[in-house]
Amino acid sequence: MSQRSAPPDDPQAEAEDPVTGEPGAIVYSDVHKAFGDFKVLKGLDLIIPRGKITVIIGRSGTGKSVTMKHVMGLLRCDKGNIWVGKDELTSMGDRRLRKVRDRFGIVFQHAALFDSMNVFDNICFPLREHTRMSNREMKAKVTDLLGLVGLSGTETRMPSELSGGMKKRVGLARALARDPEFLLYDEPTTGLDPILSAAMDELIVTTHKAKPGLTSVIISHDIRAVMHIADKMVMLYEGVVYDEGTPEHFETSDDALIKQFIAGSLIGPMSV
Amino acid sequence: MITRIVEWIGRLILGPIEELGRGVRILWGGLSNVFIRPFRLRLIIQQMEFIGIQSLPIIVLAGFFTGAVFALQSFRAFSLFGAESMVGGTVGVALTRELGPTLTGLLVAGRAGSAIAAEIGSMRVSEQIDALDAMATDPINYLIKPRLIAAMIVTPMLTAIFDLVGIVGAWAVCVKLLGQSEPAFMVRLLDWVDFDDFAGGIFKGLIFGTIIGTVACYKGFYTKGGARGVGQATTSSVVVASVLILTANYFIAWVLE
Ligand SMILES: Nc1ncnc2c1ncn2[C@@H]1O[C@H](COP(=O)(O)OP(=O)(O)OP(=O)(O)O)[C@@H](O)[C@H]1O
Ligand SMILES: [Mg+2]
Repeated sequence: MSQRSAPPDDPQAEAEDPVTGEPGAIVYSDVHKAFGDFKVLKGLDLIIPRGKITVIIGRSGTGKSVTMKHVMGLLRCDKGNIWVGKDELTSMGDRRLRKVRDRFGIVFQHAALFDSMNVFDNICFPLREHTRMSNREMKAKVTDLLGLVGLSGTETRMPSELSGGMKKRVGLARALARDPEFLLYDEPTTGLDPILSAAMDELIVTTHKAKPGLTSVIISHDIRAVMHIADKMVMLYEGVVYDEGTPEHFETSDDALIKQFIAGSLIGPMSV
Repeated sequence: MITRIVEWIGRLILGPIEELGRGVRILWGGLSNVFIRPFRLRLIIQQMEFIGIQSLPIIVLAGFFTGAVFALQSFRAFSLFGAESMVGGTVGVALTRELGPTLTGLLVAGRAGSAIAAEIGSMRVSEQIDALDAMATDPINYLIKPRLIAAMIVTPMLTAIFDLVGIVGAWAVCVKLLGQSEPAFMVRLLDWVDFDDFAGGIFKGLIFGTIIGTVACYKGFYTKGGARGVGQATTSSVVVASVLILTANYFIAWVLE
């Protein structure tokens, strides 16, 4: 890999998001990724605006999770550049990548709680790993976080004793433990009933407001559930950005593909 | 047609090489992390306890009966030409050199190696390993190192236990069951089994422990595709580790001679 790093006045790193007018906190430029012969990303150009809630939608299997994993270096792209602030990821070694990861919180599609640990230890994990907090401070922090996600008093439960929605909320609490700059949600509402899903939306918004400067990215195929909380929406299709804009832009779009996706209809350019 | 055959041959050759590469990467990753902070002493001890305690009952049981049955059979054979006094020594040498380390290795691979592969494999498919990475914790340091090091420390210890219990089993059969005198049993045992036999067996235990830890960790770490994948990783960790142990045993014997 070539030794490229973004100079401070690099145009990409300073890119402004055309939808919100905010500076780009995360910028993908012509990113390609294939697994074997199977091309998932085919030249993705994407700007995530700082301090806003961005929603990435797309059909199951279009590479939304793959897109997200790139930004933390969990996957390496075959070609292209990814900037997080002024740091260019594709030229980084593991050690520096770990520093970048430390600025992210991520809520996994299936929560990915450590099933050998109870809720308290799960949330404390990043604190124990990266800070020298005392037990008392950790306890206070966990109480705070569990209060924020509405799960006070569940400290000693094991992940196997929690419902899917509770797991996701514990996952959120764990992601917030280190006060991240970026918060990524992979399918936060998928698999939840409509009421829990609305509660999760509200939680995302409350969390976003409670942490000033936080940049949130939500990945979802449950478009109606997340539409109204988005500042910016991006639709992925066939490995590239198909369209981007405000939620209103999508709602009023005349594009057949977008209409079909929003309506969840079987009739249209997308086949099953 | 020809391209298909070439492809097939290519895969036949490249498959094992890729596997080998992964194994070496895990082994190297685990070992090179030994002196990298955090040291994970607590996790290493936890894993030693897990591997050791979990395998102990079967090691004791297998050790005792291996020694016992071996003594029983050789006592019968040796008594045909009045050489009963050679039983203790024969059993002792066979146990410490070959049976102890090999059977211990196979049993630990089946008992603890499979559990390690299953645990790491299910962490892989449920994104827990991604979560470790995402929280800026190196999974090699956190997951692989403690298990590899623990397997390397515990397997030789279990080998020693197997040897001792096996000799006790032989003693029980010869002295208690078949009425051989204690000195007759002991004299050849102490005469024939020297420290090199015992140490050689322990060294084998170290190698087998390394094989078990490496194979279990890499099979688990590179698990793909849901519960089915975890099952496959578990099974093949036992098969691969067993085959490697038996093969390595031969080559170690060859080198040590
Ligand atoms: N590690 C991997 N190895 C091989 N193929 C992969 C890997 N990760 C993802 N893929 C493939 O890449 C494609 C995109 O996967 P991805 O998980 O990003 O989909 P997604 O858009 O998140 O879908 P969903 O909405 O169902 O979560 C899928 O076809 C998947 O099979
Ligand atoms: Mg996904």
